[in-house]
Amino acid sequence: MKLRFAAARLLALVRKRRLDDELEGEILAHLEMAELDAINAGLSPEAARQKAHRSFGGIEQMKEDHRDQRSVRWAENVWRDVRYGMAALARDPGFAAITIGLVALGIGANTAIFSIVDAVLLRPLPFPEPDRMVRLWETPPAGNNPTTTLTFLDWKRQDSIFEALSAEEPFRAAVATGGDPIRLSGKLVSADYFNVFGVKARLGRLFAPGEDQPAAIHVVVLSYATWQTQFAGDPDVLKRELTLDGERHRIIGVLPKGSFDRDGARFWKPLIFAPDQLNRAQHWLHGIGRLRSGVNIEQARARMNTLRASLAPVMPAWKKDWRFTVDPFARLLVGDTLRRSIYLAFGAVVMVLLIACANVANLVLAKGAARRKEMALRASLGAGRARLIAQLLTESLIVCVLGGLAGIALAYLLLHLAAPLVETSLPFTADLSLDSRVLGFAAAAVMAVLMLTGLLPSWQISFGKLSGSLNLAARGSSGSSAAARRAMVIGEVAISVVLISGAALLFKSLARLQLVDAGVRIDHVITMSADLPAAAYPAAESATSFYETVVERLRSVPGVEQASVSLNVPLEGVEWGEFINVPGAKERLLVRVKMVDPWYFATLQIPVQSGRGIEDRDRAGAPPVMVINQETARNLSGRLNLANPVGRTVVTYLPGYGPIPESRVSPRIVGVIRNERTGGLHAAIEPVVYVPLAQFPRQNVHLVVRTRSQPLTAMPGIREAVRQVDPHLPLGEVRTMEQVKEQSMLWATQPTWTVGVFAGLAALMAALGLYGVLVNSVTQQRREIGIRMALGARPGEVMSRTLRTALGMLLVGLAAGLAGAYALTRALKSLLFQVSALDPVALAAACVLMTLVGTLAALIPASRAARVDPMTVLRDEG
Amino acid sequence: MSEHKTDVPYGTLDLLILKTLDTMGPMHGYRIARRIEQVAENLLRLNQGSIYPALIRLEEQGWIRTKWGISETKRKVKFYSLTTAGAKQLSVAVANWERATALVARFLEAES
Repeated sequence: MKLRFAAARLLALVRKRRLDDELEGEILAHLEMAELDAINAGLSPEAARQKAHRSFGGIEQMKEDHRDQRSVRWAENVWRDVRYGMAALARDPGFAAITIGLVALGIGANTAIFSIVDAVLLRPLPFPEPDRMVRLWETPPAGNNPTTTLTFLDWKRQDSIFEALSAEEPFRAAVATGGDPIRLSGKLVSADYFNVFGVKARLGRLFAPGEDQPAAIHVVVLSYATWQTQFAGDPDVLKRELTLDGERHRIIGVLPKGSFDRDGARFWKPLIFAPDQLNRAQHWLHGIGRLRSGVNIEQARARMNTLRASLAPVMPAWKKDWRFTVDPFARLLVGDTLRRSIYLAFGAVVMVLLIACANVANLVLAKGAARRKEMALRASLGAGRARLIAQLLTESLIVCVLGGLAGIALAYLLLHLAAPLVETSLPFTADLSLDSRVLGFAAAAVMAVLMLTGLLPSWQISFGKLSGSLNLAARGSSGSSAAARRAMVIGEVAISVVLISGAALLFKSLARLQLVDAGVRIDHVITMSADLPAAAYPAAESATSFYETVVERLRSVPGVEQASVSLNVPLEGVEWGEFINVPGAKERLLVRVKMVDPWYFATLQIPVQSGRGIEDRDRAGAPPVMVINQETARNLSGRLNLANPVGRTVVTYLPGYGPIPESRVSPRIVGVIRNERTGGLHAAIEPVVYVPLAQFPRQNVHLVVRTRSQPLTAMPGIREAVRQVDPHLPLGEVRTMEQVKEQSMLWATQPTWTVGVFAGLAALMAALGLYGVLVNSVTQQRREIGIRMALGARPGEVMSRTLRTALGMLLVGLAAGLAGAYALTRALKSLLFQVSALDPVALAAACVLMTLVGTLAALIPASRAARVDPMTVLRDEG
Repeated sequence: MSEHKTDVPYGTLDLLILKTLDTMGPMHGYRIARRIEQVAENLLRLNQGSIYPALIRLEEQGWIRTKWGISETKRKVKFYSLTTAGAKQLSVAVANWERATALVARFLEAES
């Protein structure tokens, strides 16, 4: 409603200026004439002027009255137009429902997508002075790396650069809450962590300086959501404790509601360095800092370079080409793929809105053609053109405002439904809501829709030759209006073709992606993660014995065929990467390293190509072994000249158990296995090597289980088996391999379905527009058709004539659409997998689909034309 | 509605203007005011300016329309004329007025 007043006020302002000027002129003329009359009656000029003014009365008072009259009339007119428009809409509920529905759909989808655009791309981070927040890396010649403890401590001493500097490490802990233990995600952070974000505690306090030093009391900070869910919002939560992995932690504070609730972490505890971790070889710390005010990022980079140079003597020799990197925090939150997907969705939804506008304008024009008679009558009765246009605009305004309100409701619903689907792929700082910015956008969009749908029809109706309409409107079509409507339908078809082309390309790419062989068994496999807490599994032996017993137990569960333990599951990357050196070769090879147990290959059915896999005999104490994938073998023979790797020994660095840093090892290559996809289906195959989990045990592992029947039905048995081995160990991330595969393709499926849905919507709307224009022209040409048929035209001919009109419009639209697609689909390039942005098959499919939908829409009016009975028509109108 | 006092009977200015335009045809504001004063033979004290708010009111009701013309002093002024709706309104207003004065007259006779 605000919009109506704004528009009325704007118009009134323009109008006021003009009317005031006119009144001024009238008063002047009036006084002059009065003076002239008085002079003619014999008065002196001076006396005449005084008399003229006296008989006129108070000029200013009169002007006020004049203005009052005007504004009262103005408001009354607006109100009358609104009532009249409402009544007109109520008289034609079909028209009202369709137009309001179209506007609601367009506005709703746009508002929903805009709230994502705003939250992710436009709004600054919800922290004070976000420009000062940075991420810090230690960078090898390619890519970014976390840093080492000692280097981090060096950074920490740079008071002149950083106001606050913290490391962060993901951390998960078992929490016993009555029944099964659950696993909570948290973060280990430096005491400075929350100073980097500039947040204050909602309850209690956050970490104090020095609280990240070894201490007797364990402390923890909770997110607002954790306080609400785990502690039911207990106001006395600060007197309670949280038990993590069996250790009691004092709750010192609760964070404010908002961003940190969307972060994966539920709790934060101080990151305390163990003596073993004080080295410059283990890269594990993610640095995040707040620059001192007055220090810009360029200065920070320069000073960090100086620092790197001064630290050169203490750095390991192999890191001589490494640098320190400072990046803005905001930039790393939103990846290129996400950014592109969001822009894509926004572009698609704007196109849908344009089509909706064209359709509404089309309907208003069609209705307007029928109303020319009414307008002509009103004009002849003395209604000014401005009044007629105001009245028509008011009607469009009602449609737009009602449609806009319905659209905002729709957007609210869409966001509610979509939030759980999209929120995981958005950064934690993004707050999806219909706030004032988003509502402002919705209002602006409604205004734009009003301009697009209201002005053209108003102009058409009001400025056409109304006088002629009184007797002609009943019959025959008005040329200019029909041409405008055709042009709009062609435009709709063109935009739809662009969208359908985009969708076709994306779907083709998705199909290609789905065909990629993952290299592992996908069906009947279920995976879950387990973190062995350091307190319960202090030594490597305890971990290895857990792996063995848990696999043994799992195998005895009914329905389970094979079970294994591994560092990572397929398709989700391998967290450990290291160089391997072949004695005698100059070059090194960077590989991903996966720790697996002897049953991993069998469970996922990865065949051994030569040599052997990892076996039970490869235990701690036995000579270290390594199995490599084909890609590694190919690289070894190609780049390092090692044609027969099996039996050869390589040198590399692998981590110890728990906090023990990596050390130099020389495993012997015992076999080559077929490649498994480690980095997602679209990613290039990486060189991967496998080492026995028993020789290189880890705390964070995944269980991979192959079942005979539907894998989820085996879950209760699997849980029971794990509980028998360790009743306090929670299982996390229970997913079938099919779900893992789906998740790994999310980057492609999300934009594909978004564009697909919008393309379908666009095609339907364009078909609706085409249908509307044809129905209208058939109705208007009934008489002509009747005469043709009376003169011997067959129904088939009549029908094909209508279809030809439709095809004509479709073809022009297709041509324009293909030109648009040619220009626009290159924006999809980064989202396409093995499909060119101008793939002829996809573009042809888009054209065929649009033609098909368009022809279907044309068939109804065409058959209606063919059914015209010449006798009835000629008698009716003769 | 205008609340300032004139000696024109309350609410009758519109009627006077409509009647004037009906008899005299299109004319501009000053002529309308003069015509009303002349017919009233100076019995009526009219603030000439007060006809302009009345004119805009009548125009927006759709009872009169305006056209630009040139005054005797060679100035661009609005000429007002009655619309069909205005003519109809005039007959309604005249009938109402006659009914009202007849009623008041009957009261005055009965009381005396």
